[in-house]
This record gives sequence, C-alpha cells and structure tokens, in this order.
Amino acid sequence: MNEIILILISILIFPGLLFLVVLSFLTQYAVRKLSARYQRRMGPSYVGPLGILQPFYDFWKLLRSKEIVKNKYSLVSAAEISLLIGISSIVASVVLLPLSLYNIVSDFDILIFFYMASVVPLFMMVIASLSMPGPYTSMGVSRLLSLATLSEPTYFASLIIPVYLATRQSGVFMSISSAYRNVLSIWLDPRGAVIMVLCLIAYIVAVQAKSMYQPFNIPEAEQEIIAGYETEFSGPLLALMNLFHDMDLAVSLIIGVYLLFGGPLPYSHTSPQGILMIIIKYLILLVVVTLIKNIMGRYRIEQGLAQILKYGLVPSIMASILTFLF
Amino acid sequence: MRIAKIVDPFTAIYLITVFTIAILAVTIAVYYTLKSKRVRITSVYLGGEPENVVSMITPSVGALYWGFMKRFAKHLYEALVEKIHTGSLHDWQKFISSWLAILIIISIISFVLFTLFAR
Repeated sequence: MNEIILILISILIFPGLLFLVVLSFLTQYAVRKLSARYQRRMGPSYVGPLGILQPFYDFWKLLRSKEIVKNKYSLVSAAEISLLIGISSIVASVVLLPLSLYNIVSDFDILIFFYMASVVPLFMMVIASLSMPGPYTSMGVSRLLSLATLSEPTYFASLIIPVYLATRQSGVFMSISSAYRNVLSIWLDPRGAVIMVLCLIAYIVAVQAKSMYQPFNIPEAEQEIIAGYETEFSGPLLALMNLFHDMDLAVSLIIGVYLLFGGPLPYSHTSPQGILMIIIKYLILLVVVTLIKNIMGRYRIEQGLAQILKYGLVPSIMASILTFLF
Repeated sequence: MRIAKIVDPFTAIYLITVFTIAILAVTIAVYYTLKSKRVRITSVYLGGEPENVVSMITPSVGALYWGFMKRFAKHLYEALVEKIHTGSLHDWQKFISSWLAILIIISIISFVLFTLFAR
C-alpha cells in the first residue's frame, strides 16, 4: 500500500507532473528574464514578485480564455492527444532519475530514459504539428526532422558515454542511478576528464538544437516561416505546446546535471547542500543555454546541420573512440 | 521515505509504460476539464494569400529526401552524380568493379590471416 502511494506521489507530485510543470514555468521565466536582460529589456515584471508568475499566467490565459483557431484540415483532438502523450512520456521518464522518490533502476535504463524523454516526445511533437496542417507547419516539421537526424544521435552519445564509463566496473550496468555516483571520479581522472569535456560540448550543442533555441531555431524561424511547426497552434493547444517544450528542456537539463555533473555530489540527495548543488548545476546549464541563445543568430538549415555535425557529433564520436581506447 | 527498485529491463519498460498511461489519464482529465471551449474556424493561414497558392498541404517524402541530399549532403550527392551515376555504363562498371576488387582483397586477407593465426 505504501509503495502504491509512493508511486502515485512520484508520478503525480514530486518529481512527477506537478513538480515538472512548476519547474518548466520557472525555467521559462529564467530564460525570458535572462534574455531580456541581455537585450536591455525588463522581461516579465508585473505578475507576482519580479514577474515570476508570468509563465503561469500566460499558460492559464491561453488554456482558459483564448480560442482554438482551426481550419477545415485541422485535427485538433489528434494534436491535443499527441501533445498529452508526449508530456506523459516525459513525466514518466523521471522515475528513472535518482531524484525520484520511487526510483526504478535496471540494466540499460538509460536507453528507456532516452526513448521516453527524447524519441517519443519528438515524434509526438511532429504528429501534433502535422495534425494542424499548413504550408509553414510542413516546412517547420521538415526542418525539425532534419535537425533531429543529427541532434538526437549527438544527445544520445553525449549521455551514454558517461553512463558507460561510470558503470562498466561497478553498479548496475548502463543505469542512470548507478552512473551518477561515479561521475566525479571520471572527472578527476585526466583521461576521463577529456572524454567528459567532449561529451559536455556535444551535450550543450544537442540541447540547444533539441530545444530549438538560437542558432538552431530553424524549425520555428520567426519572421521567415511565421512560427514554423507551431504556426497553426492557438489557445489551449498553444498552452500545451509551450508547456511540452519547456518540460522537454527542463528534463534534458536535469539529466545533464546528473550524468555530466554528478547531481548532488559530493553531497547526498537528502542534505540541504545536495539540493543546493543540484539547483546550482541546473542553473549553470540553463545560463549557458540562454547565453548561447542570446549571442547567436539563426543558421540556415544546412548551416545548422553542418554545425551540429562539427561541434556536436564529431566531439561525441571522438569521445566514443577515446572511451574504447582507454 | 525513498524506494530504489532494482528490476530487469523488461519489468522497467512495463512499469514505465503503466506510469505513462496513468499520467496520460490524469493529464487528459485535467486538460479537458480546464480548457477553453471556444473555437473559431478560419481558412488555412497563408500570410494573406489565397488557398490555391499551395497545391500540397504537406511536403512529399521525396521532397524531404532531396532537400536533405542536395543541400546538406551536397558533397555526397555530387560524388554520386559525377562519379557513379554519370550516365555512362563504363563509369558505372568501373565503380562497381573497383568496390568488388576491394571486397575480394579484404576477403583474401581475412582468409590468409584466419588460416595463419586462428586457434
């Protein structure tokens, strides 16, 4: 009975649905506020202290007050269900993280995480966009899929290498919960540090491309193809899409915190220092992503692919080769 | 209180799938309870152009493939066109026979190494 209650708390409250929704809104707030400061604007300021409740308010307004605009080709329910499946898949994947109160640990659980938190959401986003068709949507989706051909393998390689290094000698093989405990010892080994730096570079490039932030904001390419893959979204559907995007970013950053920086290490999860350490590492990654977003312009699609290949896939392939050599 | 449940990969997949379905049920219930019911029907948004400017609503698979091949994998495409599919049967025969020669050499080397060093 206690186990079922713990499962329900884990998937619905912490670190499940409720926590991820709040974290997504706070992440969106941080990105908007930091971006505004880079551009000498105020950013969100009026709703709540320092405007912190602005993303909540925007979501609520889109969900409750705004109308869904559709045309004769729109499949609104298919788009809604696809996005909800994507969100559910991301939320369910967090039980594989050591953060979870009910933590599932198994051999190769990194592969399950990758499938649930990256592959399924991507395809659900594509299905949702194509359910609300339009020429700009199609163009955005084709660009999204082109980017994914390189960004997804890069993201996968940048995460799987630290897990392999950390679990090849001890613990549950290729498991996130076993891997994060050994991450700091990999950084302390000079050969391991080189591999981790390469993985970190590849990871940052992949997250930038996955979250479609500059210079990889090609699928939504504002002013060029209207809003790309989300042109036809409005009202509650747009609210869902925004939440989905922010949740994807938040979970991508959390896994980076664990597998590249060791999560709460050198402290434990239950100590205040450990919690503070996770927050600091999360904020560092978020600031780096936001910084790149604000200092770079948009690439064309073939430039974007070439840059992911050069600065994402090549470092991850080099890290893979070094891993097997050492 | 915290539980770390060590299971085999198949059980992990099963549990995660069940959790996904449970979360989906909750999110569907919450979303459809809260969402605005207002709907407005319009024509397809084409930046002010009439609907007949587009003949296809979605791009064809062929267009996506050629977009990728011709723009991103340009060098590969050029190599394919200029060295292999030049339209000359002689070029094609040269290309295929050179690859076959490499395969034959690799197989001979493998055979010799295997014969000499295999235990």
